[in-house]
Amino acid sequence: MTHRFQIAIVFFIIHLSFGFLLYPELIYKLTDTGHWLVVLCQGVLQLLLILLYMKGLNYFPNEDIVDIYLKMGRLIAFVILLPFVLNLTVLVALNIRTYTEVINSLFLLRTPHWPIALLLYFISAYTATKGLGTILRSSVFIFFMIIPFILFISFSSIVNFDFHNGFPIRDASIDFLLDMEFYYLMGFSAFLFLGFMVSNKPLVFRDILIAWFSVIILYLAFVYIPLFIFGQETVVTLSLPFVIAMDSVDIRWLAFNRQTMFFGISSIGFMLIFNAVMLWMISQIMQKLFSKLRVKSALWIIIFSIIGYIAGLFIPNQVWTNTLILWNRGAQVYFMLILPITIYIYGVVIKRKGTSDERKSSL
Amino acid sequence: MENLMVEMRSKFADHDDFFIEEELIHQTVIYLMGFKTLIDYPKSNQYIRQMASSAASVEELLTNLSDRLDVGSEQMVNAVLEGKLIIVIQKDQRNAIVDPVALNLTRSIDEPKNESPIQASIDAFVEDLNTNVGLIRKRLKTDRLLHCSFQVGELEKRNLSMLYINGRAPNDLVEKVNEQLKQIGTDIESIDDLNRHFGLRKWSPVSHFFPTEVPIQAIHSLKKNRIVLLLDNYPFALVFPHLLLDMFSIVNDRNFPYILSVMLRVLRVVGAVLTLILPALYVALVSVNPEIFKFDLALFVAKSREGIPVPALLETIIMVVLIDLILEAIVRLPKSIGPTISMVGGVILGQAMVEAKLVSTLLGIVITAIVISSSVVAGIQNSLYIRLLKYPILILASIFGILGIFTGLALTGIYLASLTSFHIPYTTFHMKREGDTK
Repeated sequence: MTHRFQIAIVFFIIHLSFGFLLYPELIYKLTDTGHWLVVLCQGVLQLLLILLYMKGLNYFPNEDIVDIYLKMGRLIAFVILLPFVLNLTVLVALNIRTYTEVINSLFLLRTPHWPIALLLYFISAYTATKGLGTILRSSVFIFFMIIPFILFISFSSIVNFDFHNGFPIRDASIDFLLDMEFYYLMGFSAFLFLGFMVSNKPLVFRDILIAWFSVIILYLAFVYIPLFIFGQETVVTLSLPFVIAMDSVDIRWLAFNRQTMFFGISSIGFMLIFNAVMLWMISQIMQKLFSKLRVKSALWIIIFSIIGYIAGLFIPNQVWTNTLILWNRGAQVYFMLILPITIYIYGVVIKRKGTSDERKSSL
Repeated sequence: MENLMVEMRSKFADHDDFFIEEELIHQTVIYLMGFKTLIDYPKSNQYIRQMASSAASVEELLTNLSDRLDVGSEQMVNAVLEGKLIIVIQKDQRNAIVDPVALNLTRSIDEPKNESPIQASIDAFVEDLNTNVGLIRKRLKTDRLLHCSFQVGELEKRNLSMLYINGRAPNDLVEKVNEQLKQIGTDIESIDDLNRHFGLRKWSPVSHFFPTEVPIQAIHSLKKNRIVLLLDNYPFALVFPHLLLDMFSIVNDRNFPYILSVMLRVLRVVGAVLTLILPALYVALVSVNPEIFKFDLALFVAKSREGIPVPALLETIIMVVLIDLILEAIVRLPKSIGPTISMVGGVILGQAMVEAKLVSTLLGIVITAIVISSSVVAGIQNSLYIRLLKYPILILASIFGILGIFTGLALTGIYLASLTSFHIPYTTFHMKREGDTK
């Protein structure tokens, strides 16, 4: 099991966790026809940013982005990375909050949401404290545990399909590119973690490309499954359309009442890894920025999990959660642009400087 | 000379099995010393006399018998403790440490007791270290099989051998193990003592070593780039590092056609997973999430629990603990009583509990299934730890239902993924030669 393969799996898992619940909803709002084009455009845009990011990172072998920013200067590192930590914390809190609500509505109707959130926080924080190696290895484990479920729910929902609902698939309009909501959609990509996965072997774009491709296929499935089942007119009115689509499937021979159970289980698995990665990133940033404090990374993880947990408890309702998610996605887009671009530019500058120094010394 | 004898006598004054015998050979008085409990004295004596008849003088006899001549008293004491025979010539202060005819204190090579290989050779390791190394050497005739021996311990020096194949086992791993073994300053009584020197795992059910009784398994591990440790007086080879896959695949599977060995491995994985989740699934489906079943199935489950006064969690825990008790009792008891226990436990207890409506018939089936499935994994130790890991999942399931089962299973996976021995993760699939760390 190579490091690169594991990173590709984490990439896949994080994207699914990001997109599972809210992604289809946003797509339906953006366009009435030709949904695939939106998904594809978003994917290509993301791929360009990843390419830029990886190019930038490859200028600095064996250094993660915190090291690179610290190289640029302490002030810059603080200005850019502290808001990023805040953003990540909010992301973790919102994520757990959203999934807790889904779990509540799927399995545990009578259970209050705080113990569920506590359980999820505990597992994510535990995984994060064990370090990157554990996160990567357990992601492979969870991946193989969940993929059968995902495939099963995707294929079994075919019984309810009405393929006419997907038409027309050709739509010349690319108006959505001008829509602000489209850029919010960009916030559903999560590749920034790549900058933290330092290893002596540099990342290979091909692995990420394969993972990216599988993600796009599954995103298309998430968008089109509810669409095929309900049709565009119905689907725009639903909240969490994918969950409802799963709920509508009824298979005779299956012992279980509802498909949503499988869906719920798989989403939790993805969410656990996702949050573990985010918490681990927070701890890396905090530990390097405040290295003078000599706080262990495990303690940072615990501190931020508690902050996230308490913050999550204070969100009064689902409406608030949704608003916060949109804000958070906006911030996410900001970091997705600013981090790759700055690192790339800095890398180029450093390289130029290096070559000109060499030239000077050779003269 | 007399000093030496007095010293030895006083050193072993409290050892009633220590003997000093006086013999006359070539008109010279010699003393023979050693432990009666380790040396077969009559035979050794006879052997020395035979040797003496072919030697011209006592000095020549000593040189014929041994290459450790004229040693100090400290070395003599150690030699006596090791079960050697010491010859001292009275008149001119010479002595020699001789290998005597030892009492036969080891058993001969036998069938394995804890592993039952099918369609494979059926010899097993014994207590004697040299025999064990010999069993491996006999099958692995290569000069690349390297053997380092250590003496570890504070009170007693226990022999420990490390075997590995040069060029296969990662060099840095061999070095680390070597260093670690040299540093051991306390007595190694059990595998747990040894475990503690290989990294802190006091509260972990997963050991750093995988014990095996069968030489072929040990050789297979050597070929798979692992290190094998052998302890004297311990009839198991300890494979280091212990990996997750050891639980599911044993070398004897490969004596079957490939498809059958795949089937066996899949069955073991299924067994392990069932052991972990079945009791939890029962509790979750009965008490927390009955609604996820189809209506008629849910009704059936509810009916089978009709009239049972205890809550599902308690019911399951009682049965699971009882079964674990029975399993433990059968192992500990003499073979003649074992079957009685299994009859009383299995037939009477199970039947009576169901009839008394203390547990449901469905739970009876679940319990039977987990007892059987927990035993399909390779290695007693692995079977025990799988049995232990089912409890946390059971508790989580009783609180969170299906969610609890899944998170429990994920937590188990994450926990196992977090284990490493010298940076080699427990969940490694294949150990690479250069010391794969991922």
